[in-house]
Amino acid sequence: MLDSITERRWILPLAGVLLLWAALVMLTERFSIYSLTGVATSASFLIFPALGQMLVITTGRGNIDLSIPSTVTLSAYVCVVVSGGTNAGLPAALAAVLCTALATGLVNAGLVVLLRIPAMIATLATGYILASLTLMVNAMVTRMGTPPLLAWVATGRIGGFPLIFFVAVAVTAATGLLLGYTAYGRKLLALGQSAEAARLTGIRTGRIVASTFVVSAILSAATGMLLSGYAAGAFLEMGTPYLLQSVGAVVLGGTLIAGGSATAMGTLYGGILLVMIVTTLQIAGLPHGIQDILQGVVIIAVLSVAGAGGRLR
Amino acid sequence: MQANTALPQDTDGFRPDGEKPAFLSLRGIGKTYGSTRANDDLSLDIAPGEIVGLIGANGAGKSTLMRIVCGVTRPDEGSLHWDGAALDPDAFSARTAQRQGIRIVWQELSLCANLSVADNFYVERPELAGRGPLWRGAYHTLARESIEAIFPGARISTRALVADLSLSERQMVEIARVASDPALRLLILDEPTSSLGSERSAQLRAYVRRRAAEGLATIFISHKLAEVLDVSDRIVAMRNGRIVWQERAAKASVPDMVEAMGGPGAGDRPERQARTGTAAEGEILATLDGKRTAAGIDPPRLRRGEIVGLAGLEGNGQRAVLRALFSRPEASGLKPGCRVRYISGDRPNEGVFPLWTVLQNISIGRIAARGPFAPVRDSAERPHAASLAGRLRLDESRFGSKILELSGGNQQKALVARALADDFDVLLLDDPTRGVDIAAKRDFYRLVEDVAQSGRLVIWYSTEDLEFLECDRVLVFSKGRIIRELGGAEIDEDAIVASSFAEQTAAGGAADAGPPPARRIGPAIMKAIPFASLVAVFLAMSIQNPLVASSFGLELLLAPAVPLVLIALAQMFVVGGSEIDLGVGAFTGLVNVISATLLVASPLLGAAALVAGLAGYALIGVLIQARAIPAIVVTLGASFIWIGTGQTLQASPGGSSPEWLAALFSWSIPGLPTPLVLILLAGIAAILIDGSATGTILRGFGANAAALARAGWSPVRYAVCRYLVACVFAMAAGLYVTATNNASDINASSSFTLLSIAAVVMGGCQLLGGMIAPAGVVAGAVTLSLIGALLAALGVSTDFNAAVQGGLLILILGFQAFLIRRKNDA
Repeated sequence: MLDSITERRWILPLAGVLLLWAALVMLTERFSIYSLTGVATSASFLIFPALGQMLVITTGRGNIDLSIPSTVTLSAYVCVVVSGGTNAGLPAALAAVLCTALATGLVNAGLVVLLRIPAMIATLATGYILASLTLMVNAMVTRMGTPPLLAWVATGRIGGFPLIFFVAVAVTAATGLLLGYTAYGRKLLALGQSAEAARLTGIRTGRIVASTFVVSAILSAATGMLLSGYAAGAFLEMGTPYLLQSVGAVVLGGTLIAGGSATAMGTLYGGILLVMIVTTLQIAGLPHGIQDILQGVVIIAVLSVAGAGGRLR
Repeated sequence: MQANTALPQDTDGFRPDGEKPAFLSLRGIGKTYGSTRANDDLSLDIAPGEIVGLIGANGAGKSTLMRIVCGVTRPDEGSLHWDGAALDPDAFSARTAQRQGIRIVWQELSLCANLSVADNFYVERPELAGRGPLWRGAYHTLARESIEAIFPGARISTRALVADLSLSERQMVEIARVASDPALRLLILDEPTSSLGSERSAQLRAYVRRRAAEGLATIFISHKLAEVLDVSDRIVAMRNGRIVWQERAAKASVPDMVEAMGGPGAGDRPERQARTGTAAEGEILATLDGKRTAAGIDPPRLRRGEIVGLAGLEGNGQRAVLRALFSRPEASGLKPGCRVRYISGDRPNEGVFPLWTVLQNISIGRIAARGPFAPVRDSAERPHAASLAGRLRLDESRFGSKILELSGGNQQKALVARALADDFDVLLLDDPTRGVDIAAKRDFYRLVEDVAQSGRLVIWYSTEDLEFLECDRVLVFSKGRIIRELGGAEIDEDAIVASSFAEQTAAGGAADAGPPPARRIGPAIMKAIPFASLVAVFLAMSIQNPLVASSFGLELLLAPAVPLVLIALAQMFVVGGSEIDLGVGAFTGLVNVISATLLVASPLLGAAALVAGLAGYALIGVLIQARAIPAIVVTLGASFIWIGTGQTLQASPGGSSPEWLAALFSWSIPGLPTPLVLILLAGIAAILIDGSATGTILRGFGANAAALARAGWSPVRYAVCRYLVACVFAMAAGLYVTATNNASDINASSSFTLLSIAAVVMGGCQLLGGMIAPAGVVAGAVTLSLIGALLAALGVSTDFNAAVQGGLLILILGFQAFLIRRKNDA
């Protein structure tokens, strides 16, 4: 049944999280509950784009969203510029970021669905265009700052645990329900297994593929906005980590890279695991270059062990 | 051994000339998959020159048996004897079987679409290759002669890409390629006529008989029983993994064969009860208008309650009508608001959802019609699916199994249940019983009858003319148009065949002529794009600044293009394998850093680091192949490794070039700008590699890796080779950057990744299917590089470079997509 195919693959990344945590607690005194909340915060920022990436990857045919980092950065800048750092500017900023996300998502979707350009290339190209736009918006920045309300959402705590983490868990749960228990989820999974069979079954495949790109852009933009609230500003390299990490969280979580099978909960744990690994490297004082190398190695190694999920095509 | 081991039946009686001893003997073959006994105590002798027709329902064990004979599958029990000697099961592989002369034409075609017909012959028989760039010559002759020997008048160009051939032409090439093997002693044809017209099928059978007279043995497997009966000396029927019946063809009849395969009474259809009245008065649901009818034929009006067959030789537009009715219903003449269902016989590509259970595969049919947020639970879908399955005699206890665990016939039942899950008006059948056993077919025919009876319109395309006897009306197609309408008593196999061929012979076999010229325009434009845009950009720059056209101007202008040309060629070889390297820019940066730091400080260590880079690329190739993981994710991960390594070696830009490296790239030929020479050299190197025998195989893997592996080429070895070739080009780029900049920066080369993909695409390569064009890529890369310079000369801020490059890439790909779509519509 579906449950046994998809919903249990999150066990491995969860085990990874628990093992790594146990090892860190035992081996180092420095890995306190405080750093755990730090991990939860960083992971939350990653979960949003990772869930979007998961939906895109699940549509199969090698679909992937490489415009995520540019969307994150541009959204952060748009938020900073439009809000002017005040709560009063927040609604306008929210609207502007949403428009940016919708435009990005729709352009990606149009290129992939209507022009049938491979997603990897289309999103790479839109990513470059967004990067140019970011440079333009960057030139308009007069003052870095963030609306206090946004800062509260991004940094606030409930019972000592980051508020944003609860939001991330809620979004994960919603995505999980959507995938497992709605017609949309079934159609998406069907399409990811065989686009032509899905089309001949009467599923409007174009709409579903398009929707995943739009959702991915909106979730990435949310992270961009929240990051600007967290860092009280924006910088050009802000979104860069999310390119590899969004794919990494999906892969570590047990979603099939070939499409057709996904697990939202796995992506949550995969994201936490990845952030824990990076945090450990930082705490160990390794230079940035080594962190990059190890992230690359971990993702390739996990994929090599897990394989593509036994799919032939 | 072969003479004195008696078969369950007296084999001597079956031999064509009674004297020749068997050269291949199977004794007590058994094979078990899980709980399924695929082959059970099976014994069979094959004599030289004998044609054995092998029949059996799906799941009877024919394919397993053939895989054992071909050395692909190892039997659990029993032995194979070849010329009287027992074959060592450990040493008997697909390769050794092929060397002994056992060859099979697989049911799914094994040609590489992106290679020419001649190159496809090379893939199978590399030993004939000549030396040097003209190594292909022998294969043109071989291909032409082999095809004409079997299919006289086929006139298939040996230079044509297989992608440009029709399905039946491909099948002919496939058969000819296997039959051309000089060592051939046993030819196995598995459904060889599935996409051949009757004329070609007859030619093939005549050929098989001619070769039999020369001593070639053939096993002919087909569901088309009349053809089996016509060609064979002996007919062997299998059921449940055993041989249950054999008979000399002269004494056998189709009803005998049907009974042997499927049990008693499987063959004789009960007389169809005429559905008097319903069809003639039914509401008109579809009108196939004038575009689809030949002159003098009234546009057929299709009514509720009718079963309408689409007949004619394969590929004459029957399928196109079905597709159009489904994809663009109203434009194709369907009454607005009709609910249409489609059932395809191509289960692997157009039917099953392989990761799902049977229940999920059925219930999606109903779920597809619901709104996005409608709740779905398997338990709630079960009762409805069960009632459908009951109508089809599909056992509900199989609902929890993965769909692929079912036999072909049961899979198809599940797909039919899916299509019927919801109410509908029109049912489109696209060769729905392909590869389905006879019992499942009969259940299916009964169901179709019910569907029509209940007031739906059924439109049925089949490759088996006998199935049209189930229809109320048959529309016969030729060259995309309906040329005849048969109704009621007129429908019989002879009438359909006669009218299918009437038009065909009158037109002098036009169906086999090459593709119409309209299909060639698109590719020609695509090929011209990089060169035309290169000329355009160069002209624009010369007008802006006449100095550009001078030797010195070219030197300045082309120098930045050199690394991009090299990187684009690296990317091209990866794209040739239907993969993408997202780390090529970062790797170039890493080589740049290594050569400007380590290589200067400690040449030995530097050289070792570069070799390690090569090893890294080889490892990428191994990982992608051996673990079947997508190149895009591996190379994305690798790009972080390259950048991280570069940063660790050199935190901020700096370094210098080794003197010998600078000297390597700074020579000059008087009057010729050095960068131009380097670009030309790189292009020539790429063309030579791509055109070489190795390059052909590399491309072949990009199109049909499974077929190449089956022909004996190692996927891992060629993946390593592909990534090493790419690595060498990228490395040359990194060294060139060091030599010309006399410094290094790990981040400077990262934009080359997108640019290289843009250049490859602009150069006329296709990202999937292994279609590549080295000269186009060189022109594309130079053009892209010049555009950067042009923008700078026009005073556009460098901030926009990325946007312009990204926009350009989208523009070219959009244009390509437009051309491809126009080609498909044509």
